[in-house]
Amino acid sequence: MNSIIQIDNLSKSFGEVKAVQNLSFRVKKGELFAFLGINGAGKSTTINIMCGQLSKDSGNIQIDGHNLDENISLIKSELGVVFQSSALDSALSVYDNLQSRAALYGIVGAEFKERLSELADLLDFNGLLKRPVGKLSGGQRRRIDIARALFHKPKILILDEPTTGLDPQTRKTIWSVIAALRKSENMTVFLTTHYMEEAAEADWVVIIDSGKISAEGTPLELKNTYTGDYITLYGTDEDTVRKLGTQYEKIKDAYRLFVPNTEAATKLIVKHPEIFRDYEITKGKMDDVFLAVTGKTLLGGAEK
Amino acid sequence: MNTLPYLIKRNVKLYFKDKGMFFSSLITPAILLVLYITFLGKTYKETFTSNLPDAFTIDESLINGLVASQLISSILAVSCVTVAFCSNFLMVQDKANGTVKDLRISPVKPSLLSIGYYISTLASTLLICLAATVICLIYVAAVGWYMTVTDVLLLLFDVFLLALFGTALSSLINFFLSTQGQISAVGTIISAGYGFLCGAYMPISSFSSGLQKVLSFFPGTYGTSLIRNHSMQGVLNEINNSGVPAEIIEKIKDSLDCNLYFFKNQVDIPVMYTILGVTVAALLVIYILLNLKKT
Repeated sequence: MNSIIQIDNLSKSFGEVKAVQNLSFRVKKGELFAFLGINGAGKSTTINIMCGQLSKDSGNIQIDGHNLDENISLIKSELGVVFQSSALDSALSVYDNLQSRAALYGIVGAEFKERLSELADLLDFNGLLKRPVGKLSGGQRRRIDIARALFHKPKILILDEPTTGLDPQTRKTIWSVIAALRKSENMTVFLTTHYMEEAAEADWVVIIDSGKISAEGTPLELKNTYTGDYITLYGTDEDTVRKLGTQYEKIKDAYRLFVPNTEAATKLIVKHPEIFRDYEITKGKMDDVFLAVTGKTLLGGAEK
Repeated sequence: MNTLPYLIKRNVKLYFKDKGMFFSSLITPAILLVLYITFLGKTYKETFTSNLPDAFTIDESLINGLVASQLISSILAVSCVTVAFCSNFLMVQDKANGTVKDLRISPVKPSLLSIGYYISTLASTLLICLAATVICLIYVAAVGWYMTVTDVLLLLFDVFLLALFGTALSSLINFFLSTQGQISAVGTIISAGYGFLCGAYMPISSFSSGLQKVLSFFPGTYGTSLIRNHSMQGVLNEINNSGVPAEIIEKIKDSLDCNLYFFKNQVDIPVMYTILGVTVAALLVIYILLNLKKT
């Protein structure tokens, strides 16, 4: 697959603060790319530079084969952005908002109405068109934000913490729409999120800390590299578990053993079949990867 | 160019939907109206009649017409600028609440966005000021009408020109603002201060000579004078016809700022138009250049 986003040696400072330091990564066409980091890690700075909202100090950015320094207008027409906080006009109706934003891309008249109808069906907001955006619930507003970002059929959809603060049902709806769009239009999704279960679905993950890449890979690669496996062992007592000589913790009705990887887990089970009668093996989670890589945890937007 | 009409429509709709922005733009004209109704009107009337030589008696309706013309000229001169400033606050509000990000991630050039703000502000300002002009003319008709059709047409042109000036000035100042606090500060200064600066609250002729010289550098004063001239010309002619000598009429015109002086040289009406026109053009050129630089 070709890289649709290619960032090389990107740097940006605000006075003494080095927001982004020599950042380089690739995003392949059609993939779900997760860009993780705590608040202030440099995610928004990178996105703002990619969208032409902020100038860079140095480095090179190519988006869909176009250099950001030479073809910013063309690049802007290929990007759809869902901001962390809605940037629509609260006082205006959904229809008026989408009409004014569509016109920014030259989509007016019959073309506007046709696309509006498509998106209203896709995101289920036909009943909201006349309502002021300021009167919508968080989930409804998010759907309109996504419709605004998709109006001009962008090749790349940038989602900056799109589901923060939303209820699980709305999050599920949003992700199913995005998954459908990726499939039908081969759209690339550039995601920043504080929900690690969302990052676990990504094709490629980059974790940044203090403006630098700390780790990158597929979720599986990251889990294998930065976390071990867990064996949850049921129907035994602590003395027996202690004899295994493995690090463990007591959880409700069971013990959780920490092993370096699946191979080690298999060896341990084969060696002690009389103990491992009721058990399950699970891989480490993306939260564990994030903690191992940055020494910090992310909990729905808050750094710990 | 498909984009511009929709940007203008958005901006105008937002201005009229934002009650805070809409009503704050009407505060200054409302203050003026209250001032005139409560005491200024009476004071001007008394001052005017007491300054007339005893030999002359002027019909009550002429005096009422003169005071009414002074009132409407003050209201219109101030409104064209304060309404423009308040309407143009949308430009700053978009920056303050982050909406501008949503506009700027599109391929539309910042210069087109700025033209959108300018035209929509001008449209909102003209809409309100022309409505105000109609109301003012109805008031004058009720009190004492002496204006000719030419006076009315010139008055409408003055309002248009002053709205252009107010919009250009506010565009340039608002370009440098980006927070809600700055909007409030500028709004307060303009609402409170512009009326004095342009001679709407008190005639410039009543200020000290030093201050008069300073204010003569401010183009807005010539806008006020144009409006004063075209709203008062008819009633002053009628006063002249009623037997008041031309020299006294000239003194009245001096005291009401119909005649303005730049370092003792009287500024003619064509020169006033030129000053205002050149100022609008200069402000617009600077505003456009600043926005082009942004791209």
